[in-house]
Amino acid sequence: MPHEPTRRQAIAGLGAALLASRARPAMALGAASQLDVAEIMLPSGSTSRPAAWSRMLYELIQTTSVEANPQAVQLAPDDPALFAHPFSVLVGVDGFDPLSDRAVEQLRRYLAYGGFLLLDDGTGSPDGPFAASVRRLCRRLFPTRPLSPLPGDHSVYRAFFLLDAPLGRVAVSDVLEGVTKGPTTPLMYCPNDLSGALDRGPDGTDRYPVVPGGGEQRRQAKKLGINLVMYSLTSNYKHDQAHVAELMRDGKLE
Amino acid sequence: MDWLLAGGLGDGGVLTWTASEPVRVLVGVLALLALGLALLPGPAPRRIGDRLLELFLWAGALVVLAMAALGPTWVDESGRTETGPLVVLVDGSASMGVTEDGRQRSDALEARLAELVESGSVDGPVDVYTFDETVRSGPPAETDGRGSDLGVALEATADRYLGQQVRGVVVLTDGVDRGALRRSLREAGADGTLPPGLAPALPGPLTLYQVGQLDDVRDLAIDDVVTGGFAFLRTPFTLTANVRGAPGRTVPITLLRQGRVQQKQDVTLDEEGRGEVGFEITPRRVGRFSWSLQAPIDPDDAVPGNNTFPVVVRVVRDRTRVLQVSGSPSYDQKFLRLFLKEDPSVDLVSFFILRTQADMGAGWAPFELSLIKFPYERLFSEDLGSFDLVVLQNFDYAPYFSFNAEELLGNLARYVEDGGALVMTGGDRSFDMGDYQGTPLERVLPLQLGVAGPKSDEVPFRPVLTEAGLNHPITRLAADIASSQATWERLQPMDGLNMTAGVAPGAGVLLQHPSLTAANGEPAPVLAVAEVGRGRTMALAVDASWRWSFSEAAEGRGNQAYLRFWKSSLRWLVADPDDRRVVVTPARDNVLLGDEVQVVVLARDAGHLPVAAAEVGGMLIGPHGSEVPFSALTDADGEAVFTFRPETTGAHRLTAALVSDPKQAGASVFAVSDRDPELSEITPDRGFLETLAALYGERGRYVAPDESTGPLLDDTAAREVRDRREVDLASAPIVALLFGLLAGGAWFVRRRHGAV
Repeated sequence: MPHEPTRRQAIAGLGAALLASRARPAMALGAASQLDVAEIMLPSGSTSRPAAWSRMLYELIQTTSVEANPQAVQLAPDDPALFAHPFSVLVGVDGFDPLSDRAVEQLRRYLAYGGFLLLDDGTGSPDGPFAASVRRLCRRLFPTRPLSPLPGDHSVYRAFFLLDAPLGRVAVSDVLEGVTKGPTTPLMYCPNDLSGALDRGPDGTDRYPVVPGGGEQRRQAKKLGINLVMYSLTSNYKHDQAHVAELMRDGKLE
Repeated sequence: MDWLLAGGLGDGGVLTWTASEPVRVLVGVLALLALGLALLPGPAPRRIGDRLLELFLWAGALVVLAMAALGPTWVDESGRTETGPLVVLVDGSASMGVTEDGRQRSDALEARLAELVESGSVDGPVDVYTFDETVRSGPPAETDGRGSDLGVALEATADRYLGQQVRGVVVLTDGVDRGALRRSLREAGADGTLPPGLAPALPGPLTLYQVGQLDDVRDLAIDDVVTGGFAFLRTPFTLTANVRGAPGRTVPITLLRQGRVQQKQDVTLDEEGRGEVGFEITPRRVGRFSWSLQAPIDPDDAVPGNNTFPVVVRVVRDRTRVLQVSGSPSYDQKFLRLFLKEDPSVDLVSFFILRTQADMGAGWAPFELSLIKFPYERLFSEDLGSFDLVVLQNFDYAPYFSFNAEELLGNLARYVEDGGALVMTGGDRSFDMGDYQGTPLERVLPLQLGVAGPKSDEVPFRPVLTEAGLNHPITRLAADIASSQATWERLQPMDGLNMTAGVAPGAGVLLQHPSLTAANGEPAPVLAVAEVGRGRTMALAVDASWRWSFSEAAEGRGNQAYLRFWKSSLRWLVADPDDRRVVVTPARDNVLLGDEVQVVVLARDAGHLPVAAAEVGGMLIGPHGSEVPFSALTDADGEAVFTFRPETTGAHRLTAALVSDPKQAGASVFAVSDRDPELSEITPDRGFLETLAALYGERGRYVAPDESTGPLLDDTAAREVRDRREVDLASAPIVALLFGLLAGGAWFVRRRHGAV
């Protein structure tokens, strides 16, 4: 199916590049249709890192064709407004109390009908109290589908960038975990504190040091953030046959 | 003397009285009354001798009259012996219509029959019967039987003449037999044994006269066409013709569609004169389609009618192939992909533009990226025909199509006109914002482009159903109109609208903006549809239909409105014949001439629910343009059933529509062939008849077509016949004569003495 570009295609590609260089800024029909981040706030155990998500969305806008509104809104898990924000995060810094039945029911519907939730472990400890709370929550949301490590060929690792590991502020785990339903994984758990790597202080400097990889690890964390957003929009698109075949031909996949 | 007795009385006869009991009593009473009157004394005295003479004469006359009234009949019965009949069984099946050397096989049969019946070569009575699948008295009026079964005919003869002797049983046939007897003889003969009792015991010796040319029957035929029953869209299938003719001959076979030659192939027949040839066809549309396979007709072809074979093949869609092209990952694209990906009837191919030229300065090296080239040129040229539906979701062609935009967009427009389906959804890269004005694609869009003012409006709004939208299957979100309207009214508002110049000519608006107007002054269209050529297009000038899914889920309603909207859109766009509101379905795609064809017309409403008591009318159009109208009311299941018996071979088209809304129409086709199994084999079977004759030993004889041997006859066969003769004596002249003499004599005696 893939084929070498012809001379005609090469000329067409050059034309496309020239046209793209004068492309207007992308915007949806109304800001409400643009992608943003909903931070789910709990009475205890969670935190808000809007600057981290703004940075992630800014990187997304600069790097990809996705139209985004680089802001984060804070919502309770049972707030119906959650349904206006299909990409949501829950950043944990400690264990949290069990959610109300109403909140669990809403989250379940949110994830079942197209929402995406990233559970970001700000503690940097995959065996810590936040992780335990996450697993307890997942059992309530998906009683028959446990939170499991995502395989190395999962689409989230190739949604835009090719990633070897899901690095964040720390690198305590080589894998993301998630709950997969059919062809999609609507819930993922990142043990490496992604938002910690992206967060910035009021002066615009990085809020936390990234260990052990320093600047390069922070760069990888940006790539992970972009991949997570791209995955939430395209799900298993990168597993479509056309992509797999071409990436293998280019030597990017084995 | 015989004249006086109305023909004479034979020896041994008996006199019987045929009058009923009441008549006899009445006659007796009347006779006594008459005698009493005669005894009354006259006005003048008479001699006793005269008196007695008169009484005697009156009494005699009355006796004669009374006896005549009692119905005297002379019955004379006598027995005699007559020659047994010759039973002649004549083959009346269709193979007798085969032409050989310019003459029908039935001509030879008639000559044999005339020789037996009319030439006087056989004395005595002759009973003639026709046999094919059944047996009936008399010679064949037509040789059109659907198959001959000699075994049945012989058994019927044995039953008919049970206990009688016949001089002989003569069969006139070509030996082409479809019955169990021939099969049994073949099977028995195969292992070298012919068990007794295989053939029925006959009342006389059997003579089998064969007709037809035993060698060199010139008949080129397409005996059958194997279709496989149905075919899948865009998947090659094969029509295989089974051809029969002279061994070793190479025959050109032609495949025709609607009278036009599609393919031609040669087939060389094997030593048994058989061969098969396959025609590979890749169907491009769903429905029932007719083809015809033809073999050439030679001047001396025995059965020209079997050189053509019409067939109908139903083409079904295994899965709907959808190409989704998005100019930018978005919620709208995400939710549509989820819907399409989770629908098992959809085969989805997605291409999302993840990065544009403007994003290339972000500092990422190519090896870090998991991106592939957008194969736009191949997609919009050679691959285009493989899709049922193309969805352009906020996709601007210009940065990618560049110099060949005209060609690629022209391909897409032609794809629609040739039967494809297209959806364009809104966004900042769609419609006028995607610079589609003036491109070939604009001519197939349901909305007109070239808006002069702002190309979008970003004030949230809730779309309003138009009159057309109330009834259209795409926008019918519930079983009834009121519920559907209520569903639309509670769905989430849209974030903005692509402004257009209004609806395109011939297109229809289903949803419109509640307040904004288009350039033509009409309410700004939000959702519009059009039928373009053989294809269909839909324009949704918003990029937030995903909210219809998520907003319902937020309210605990699931996402049925969103699913139904896109499912109905998909169904309407690909326009499968079985998804139309009026569906015409023949019970069988291929029927034999003379068979009954049942056709079901299903009527559904906009929500695809059956409509009861709807009047549907239609037409059966024969291969030569003959028209048979039909109409009826649908039943509770929305179905009206019609029955036809086609009278000609070839493809028959069916059209039907709702009488109340003729635009809601459906069509179908079925093929009628005359490929009678009787005619799939026409060479006379000598072996069968010879073997059958041998089964009867000395009481069986086979006579070849060119022989003139007479039939085997049992001259001792006879039957007892009893003659019964009845003479009605009341009408014999002697009765009138006696009565006249006696009554006249009495009157004379009476008058002679002055009495009156």
